[in-house]
Amino acid sequence: MGNVFKTKLTAATIVLIPACIGINYLGKLIASVLKLPLWLDSIGTCIGGCLGGPIIGAICGALNNLIYGLTTGDNITLIYALTSLGIGLVVGILARLGFMETLTKSLICAVGGGLAAVVISTPLNVIFWGGTTGNVWGDALFTVTQANGMSVWIGSFLDELVVDVPDKLITVVIVYLLLKGAPKKLTSLYDVNAEVERLD
Amino acid sequence: MGNFSLYVDNGTWLNKMHPYTKLLYILAAICIPLIGGKLWLFPLMILCSICLLACGRTLKRALPLVAFSFTLIVVIFLIQGLFYHSNENVLFKVWILTFYKEGVLYAAHIGLNILNMLLSFALFVLTTSPQELVEELEKSGFSPKFGYIINSVFQIIPQMMKSKDTIMDAQRSRGMETEGKLLVRVKALFPMISPVVMSSLINTRERAIALEVRGFGRKNKKSFLSERPKHKGDRAIGAFLVLLIILVIVWRIASCL
Repeated sequence: MGNVFKTKLTAATIVLIPACIGINYLGKLIASVLKLPLWLDSIGTCIGGCLGGPIIGAICGALNNLIYGLTTGDNITLIYALTSLGIGLVVGILARLGFMETLTKSLICAVGGGLAAVVISTPLNVIFWGGTTGNVWGDALFTVTQANGMSVWIGSFLDELVVDVPDKLITVVIVYLLLKGAPKKLTSLYDVNAEVERLD
Repeated sequence: MGNFSLYVDNGTWLNKMHPYTKLLYILAAICIPLIGGKLWLFPLMILCSICLLACGRTLKRALPLVAFSFTLIVVIFLIQGLFYHSNENVLFKVWILTFYKEGVLYAAHIGLNILNMLLSFALFVLTTSPQELVEELEKSGFSPKFGYIINSVFQIIPQMMKSKDTIMDAQRSRGMETEGKLLVRVKALFPMISPVVMSSLINTRERAIALEVRGFGRKNKKSFLSERPKHKGDRAIGAFLVLLIILVIVWRIASCL
């Protein structure tokens, strides 16, 4: 268990981070091109977590939101840097513990990532927007809970839950399929337990 | 998508200011109303940001950023105005909807806070080049590896956009449907996303080798390509902003006693 957080800071992992941030952006773009009711903006973060480990995943997630927040002026993203950090961390830890080995196990990993997102996002939603998330389905549910007199926290929690968990499920399944198909010479670059054999 | 950053250099004094001074302004603009705790401080800071944006001749480009948040603000007004938990006093009625005073006040708080944050960030984003920010961060002690990560994001994204377009065209010419029912669009997701992601992951391997060959991992001190001219106002404005924040904190404590 000691090596769950083991991270190699080589040129390969450093290069992985911007690539993952790019992939996040691309996922979001493709989801909007295909008009899918999903975000798909954490594919890169999950790839970073699975390949580089929890620390790299967390860095990918946090930097992703910081960079977009500070360049596109969308400071709503900026606040959710914490959420992305949590997703990267949790998916990274679960991947190191072996939850990305089969498709069924990867679903557990997805739920873990989704719950991390919900748990971190809910307080942020309540503090900054009074509980809404900006997603149509989630906010409709939030309105129903508020009209029925439930507390803001429960409403906001459910609001996040119905949006985040399905989104993370699809994201992690995509990541699982991608990494299964990735060539060995690529994935071996990020294998922390790999040993270098010397021929001399 | 060639130009990913919103920054445009139009030569005003805001462009010449140090990025840190502008970051300090964001901090001040967000902290002052929140610490002060009075509703009128929000419009004051918003007005201040609008004036500065006008000074930097960037007001027009800030509009789309603000327009984007309007739906969010409208939703907040509707939900909180109608269903806020301590709603008691009726403010006005529209058709069958009853808006309450407490909810609308609460929504005004959140809405103004969002607008205030958006505008102060817009000021920073529209007048600061990311490259400059990264270089200043490196000069004040951030690791150059960190700087590389940020700078390369700006190179990678336009490249990936290009390859996404190429792959989308290629897949369409093979008969992939990208429009139509939800199921059709979901089916198109994987054939579109996997080649782009895969090729960019494979590119990282080549890039890593190229970097290592050029001595990226060396630990000696890096030198900088450009020297930035000092702006006289940086110190004065910075000191003024810090003073304002301290004043507000003192004022709040004094009003609590």
